[in-house]
Amino acid sequence: MSEQLTPLHGNHACALGAIAAGCRFFGGYPITPSSEIAERMSRELPKVGGVFIQMEDEIASMAAIIGASMGGTRSMTATSGPGFSLMQENLGYAAIAEVPCVIINVMRGGPSTGMPTRPAQGDILQARWGTHGDHPIIVLTPASVQEVYDETIRAFELAEKLRVPVVVMYDQIIAHLLEGVKMRDADAPLVERKWAGSEADYKPFATGDDLVPAMARPGDGHRVHTTGLTHNEAGFPTQHPETVDRVTRRLLDKLDRHRAEIEKFEAVDTDDADILVVTFGISARAARRAVRIARAEGIKAGLFRPLTMWPFPEEALRAAAKGAKAVLVPEMNAGQLSWQLERVLRDGTPIVSQGKIDGQPITPDEIVARLREIRGS
Amino acid sequence: MASTQRTEIRFAGSGGQGLITGARILFKALALAGRQAAQSQSYEPTSRGGFCHSDLVVSDGEPDYPLVTGIDYLVVLDQVGADRSADVIGKETLVVADARLVPNPPAEANIRSLPLTDRALALGSHRVANIIALGALVGFTGICPKEALEQAVRAETPKKFADLNVAAVEEGFRLAEELAVA
Amino acid sequence: MNEVATVAGAETGPFEIRDYLRLELMPHFMCPGCGHGIALRALLWAVHELGIEKDKLAVVSGIGCSGRVGAYIDANTFHTTHGRPLAFATGLKLARPDLTVVVISGDGDSLAIGGNHLIHACRRNLDMTLLMLNNEVYGMTGGQVSPTTSEHRLTTTTPTGNVEPVFDACRLAAASGASFVGREVTLQAPALKNLVKKAIAHNGFSFVEVMSDCTEIYGRKNDLGESPEMILSQKADMRPEAFGNVADQPFRPHRLATGVFAELDRPEYGAVYRAQPAFRKG
Repeated sequence: MSEQLTPLHGNHACALGAIAAGCRFFGGYPITPSSEIAERMSRELPKVGGVFIQMEDEIASMAAIIGASMGGTRSMTATSGPGFSLMQENLGYAAIAEVPCVIINVMRGGPSTGMPTRPAQGDILQARWGTHGDHPIIVLTPASVQEVYDETIRAFELAEKLRVPVVVMYDQIIAHLLEGVKMRDADAPLVERKWAGSEADYKPFATGDDLVPAMARPGDGHRVHTTGLTHNEAGFPTQHPETVDRVTRRLLDKLDRHRAEIEKFEAVDTDDADILVVTFGISARAARRAVRIARAEGIKAGLFRPLTMWPFPEEALRAAAKGAKAVLVPEMNAGQLSWQLERVLRDGTPIVSQGKIDGQPITPDEIVARLREIRGS
Repeated sequence: MASTQRTEIRFAGSGGQGLITGARILFKALALAGRQAAQSQSYEPTSRGGFCHSDLVVSDGEPDYPLVTGIDYLVVLDQVGADRSADVIGKETLVVADARLVPNPPAEANIRSLPLTDRALALGSHRVANIIALGALVGFTGICPKEALEQAVRAETPKKFADLNVAAVEEGFRLAEELAVA
Repeated sequence: MNEVATVAGAETGPFEIRDYLRLELMPHFMCPGCGHGIALRALLWAVHELGIEKDKLAVVSGIGCSGRVGAYIDANTFHTTHGRPLAFATGLKLARPDLTVVVISGDGDSLAIGGNHLIHACRRNLDMTLLMLNNEVYGMTGGQVSPTTSEHRLTTTTPTGNVEPVFDACRLAAASGASFVGREVTLQAPALKNLVKKAIAHNGFSFVEVMSDCTEIYGRKNDLGESPEMILSQKADMRPEAFGNVADQPFRPHRLATGVFAELDRPEYGAVYRAQPAFRKG
C-alpha cells in the first residue's frame, strides 16, 4: 500500500500536481520559500510541451500567466508574501476579466521582507481582499504534501470551470516537508474550460444559469475585446448604472452559485465537542494531535479545518460549532481567522484567539494547554 | 486512541554529514516496511556547515503533527548536534552518538556511544558514518527490517557506492550486537 | 515575413479602414487632432498590406489614451493594466506562437510604470511588436508630466515648467537589445505604415516609437497651436535617419530623428525555447 506513495517535498508535489492538472505555462520570479516550485516547473514543462519563463518581477509573472491563459493555456505562478503583494494588481484583472489561473503562495513571516525562511499563516485576509474592489476569488489551504498535490489539481479544475483566479496557500514547513503522495493516473480526465462555439450571437460575458461565460479562444473567429474596465456582456466598457450593477453582481454571485463544489473542510469529533478548535494548514495538524491528546484526558475537543478558506464554509462551521461552549483558534498570525469567525458565528460562543507570531510553528502541547485552560474556566 | 504508534527520530550534527540522506534512506526503508513518515529539516538562509538536523515522524498512517515534539531516537554525529538537540530529548530518548565527535553526550538520556567515525574510516570513508549510525539505530530498535534498510540504501545512494553503503549498514548492525552482548 | 499569418492565396485589395474597425463603437473617444488616430490607421494599413488575418491578430494594450485605441480594432484585443501590456503579451505569445502580437502603449505606460517590462522585453527578443505612442504627456488623467515631456513644458504637475530630462526611448530600446528599433512621426502616415510593416514582419522584438500629438491638453497648455500647427512643427524638427552611432552621442534625445535605427538578426526567444532538446513538440 505504502509502496504506491511517492516521496515528495511539498513544493515538488505542487509542481507535479500542476503538471497532472494540465498546466502548460508557468511565469514566475524566485522567492524563498517557494522557489523549488519554479525550479521543478522549469524542468517538467518542456517535457510536456509547455513553457516556463522567469519574468522580471512578480507583477510581470502574474501578467504573463493571464496572457497565456487568455491564449487558452492552463497557467500558474508561485510566490511568497512580498511577491504576492505585487501580484494583487493583476489578480484583480484576472478576477474581472474572468481569466482562469492558479497562484501558489507559500507563506512566510511578514510584513514586508519579514522572515523569508520562517513559516507563517498571515496572508489569509490579503488573499481575500488584497486587490481593490469587490471581486470573486477562491483560496485553498492544504495541510499536507498529499493535499498540496490534490488541492493544486483542484485549483486548476475550479479555475477552469468557473473562470476565476484560484490561490493555493501553505506555509514554509509544508513546502519543505517530505511525505508520501498518491499520484493521480496519467490519463485521468482534465476539467475543460467552457469554450465558445461558433454561435453567431455569441456575447463574451453573457451567461446561463451557471453564471459562467463561455470563453472565446483567440483565432476561433469571435475576435473578442477583453478589458479590466467594468464591461457589459458584449465585453465593452460601460458606466451605465444598471448594467454595471448587473454585471458586477453576476461576477460576485458566480461563486455563490457553485459554493457546494468549492467548499471543502474536515470536521473531526465535532458532534459532541465542548471546545471546537478551528484552524488550517500546518496548525491544523498540530490541532489534530492536540484534540487526540485532549480527548484522552477527557476534554471533549473537536476540530474544524477549512480546506477552502474563501469562500469560507460558513454553514459547515456553524453546524460544527453547534453545541460548543467555546471556540479556540490557533493560527500563525495575530488572529485573522479568529476575526473571520466572529463574523460567521454570531451566536455569542466565546472565540479564543491563539495567535502565534514568533516564526515558530504552533505545537500540539501549546494547543492542549489552552484547551485545559478553557475547560478550567 | 491518543497514541497512534508515533515515533520521532532526529539525525543531528553539522551540514555535510549526510544527515538528510540518512533520514531520507530511513524514510524509504519505513515505506518498504509499510509505515508512513514525514521528514523535515533545518531551513535557514545558509546551508553549508553549522547546526543541521533532519527529523522523521513515523506513524502507521499519515502522521498528524509532522514535526518532532519529544524525540524517541536521536542520532548525533557531532557535539553541536548534541548540544542543540538538548531541548527535545528526555530520559527515555535513545541516543546513538559518535564516540569521537561527541565527547560530551547528553547527560539525561539512554546513550549508546559508538565508534562510528572510526569504523567508517576502517571501511574506507568517513562519509559512511551516517549509514553505520543508521544500521546501529535499526539494530537497536528494530524499527524496520534489515532487508528493508539495505534495499533503501541501494535505492537512495549512488550505484558506485552501493556496496560500501551496504557494508556500512552491516557494520552498524554489528556495533549494535556487540553492545547488546557487552 | 516570418511568423506572419497571411490569408492564403488572397490578393490584398485596396485598404479600407472600415474593414478593420469595430464600427459599432463609433464615435471614438479620441480628441479632435489627436495623433493616435493616425497611428491606428497606420497599424491597420500595415496589417492589411501584410495580409494578416484579423482572427490571428492579437492587440494588447495598457492604460491611458494609447490603451483605449486597441478596442476599436476588429481583432482579438486585450486591454490590460497600466504598464503591463508587454508582460501580458509575453505570456500570450509564448502560449500562442501562431498569433501576430502587437502591443500598443504610451510614453507613460512604456517608460514610467512599465519601464522594467520594456527593457526585459527588448532583451528577451520574443517575436512581437510594440507601438509606443509618444505624446509627451499623461492625457487620460488630465495632462501630467511624463518621462518624455520636453524640458520647460507646462503640465498640470509641472506648473512652472518641466525640469526633468527626457528618455530617448529608441536608444533605450536599442541598448536593451531590441532587434528592431524605429521611429516615425504621424505627419508622415505612409512612412509610418511602412515602418510598422517592417516591424511586424521582423522576427523578434520590434520597438516602434510613434511621435503623436496631444493637441487638446498638451498643445493647448503650452500654446503649441492647433493640430495643423503642431503636426507641421514635426516637419520643422524632423531629422530623418539622423540617429547615427549611439556611442558618439551624448544621452540627449534627437527626438524627431526618424527611420530604422536597429535591425538585427538575433535568435527569437520562443523559437530558442522550443528548440531545447528536452522540449516535446506536440
